[in-house]
Amino acid sequence: MKEAIPFALNVRRLSKHFEETRLFEDISFSLVHGEVFAITGWNGSGKSTLLRIIAGLVRPSAGDIEMMSNDSVVSKDSRRKFIGLVAPALSLYDELTGLENMVFFHKVRGGNSDPSACLDVMRQVGLAGQEDKPCKDYSSGMKQRLKLAQALIHKPPLLLLDEPGSNLDNKGIKIVEDIICEQRKAGIILIASNEKREVDYADRILNLSE
Amino acid sequence: MKNGRWITQTESLTCLSEAAAIWKRDLKSEFRTRYAVNAILMFAFTTLIAVSFSIGAFRIEEAEKPFLDAVLLWIILVFSALSGLSRSFVKEEEAGTMDILKLSASPHAVFLGKLFFNLVLLGALEVIIVPFFVLLMGYDIKFPGYFWAMVVSAGLGLGTATTIVAAMIARASVRGALFSVLSFPLLLPLMITAIKGCERAAMGLNTAGWPEVKIAVAYTVIMTIVSIFLFPMIWEE
Repeated sequence: MKEAIPFALNVRRLSKHFEETRLFEDISFSLVHGEVFAITGWNGSGKSTLLRIIAGLVRPSAGDIEMMSNDSVVSKDSRRKFIGLVAPALSLYDELTGLENMVFFHKVRGGNSDPSACLDVMRQVGLAGQEDKPCKDYSSGMKQRLKLAQALIHKPPLLLLDEPGSNLDNKGIKIVEDIICEQRKAGIILIASNEKREVDYADRILNLSE
Repeated sequence: MKNGRWITQTESLTCLSEAAAIWKRDLKSEFRTRYAVNAILMFAFTTLIAVSFSIGAFRIEEAEKPFLDAVLLWIILVFSALSGLSRSFVKEEEAGTMDILKLSASPHAVFLGKLFFNLVLLGALEVIIVPFFVLLMGYDIKFPGYFWAMVVSAGLGLGTATTIVAAMIARASVRGALFSVLSFPLLLPLMITAIKGCERAAMGLNTAGWPEVKIAVAYTVIMTIVSIFLFPMIWEE
């Protein structure tokens, strides 16, 4: 009997236009569990928009996206449970502490209110000891680490990383590399970046400028 | 129905627990920032004091008092609500947290969480302002039970209507004006009913069948059902 693929992503003939501007046209690719895919391109070529479309935050002008979990199609309503997104445009709740942010995201994604899982992920991204600090007092690098942590808390099989290394120091970049290595075992990773170091992790590259 | 299938009990429970998490987070944020509560209470107290100083308990003819006091009370409550209840969604937009919330929670959970939050704010507003209004204006209420039932039921309707309008206007550039413009026609029937009900309670007229309270409850139920169906479309756009 053929073994079921734990997770797969199919992007079919995706296009995005903004009024007269054509951002990208007819993009198709398929990814299976364990793949790392990089999206590169000039500024404004649509890397972040493509990730946002896959995350379900923006509607495409044409085309469709299909997610498969254990060979079953994931319904549009359930997709958010399968996705973790890290992007510069995402903001966290400044008035809450790092841990409160994590517990909130854990709970709304179906987790319990036990903070131990959140503390583990915060430790993984190097935020141990910073849990009770309000998010507004975090540096930009710490906020980026917390964004990584919130994207990982529900153990999504699809991790979308938009410029994951931005604002991070060398230790932070090493953490991103470790996350990519770990996530490869857990599902699929899409990286939108022009950083050679990040793109080098990819098995395949899509250049939106071509 | 959701994509041609009935929502199961487990999904409903998940949705409610997500909504509770959003509600608690909003309360926690509000407690720390006082983003909406300051706007609502400042408006309510300023208007109440202005009204009580300029009109007070003695400048209205006794015969007109039940009606005019009800009008003044609901003007204060509705416009105070309009000054702050839009902020539950506007704040998400201004802080840039809308996307992460969309990624994390289901639309229904977001709507219910924000609705519960607005109802708590509105409840606090009514609990603080109504007794002050009754005291300062010398508002004599013959049937306090009917009066409070009217205040609570119309408050629920007010909270539901303002929550869905707040979601609609959150991304607009002229939010303040748009919120009032869109809310006003939706709230007018409720306001008229609430004024009638409070007047009836103050005059001690026959309250058999609780007519205005029933209308306000029906308004709330209809508005909640319509909002639950409409909200995912507004949220995902």
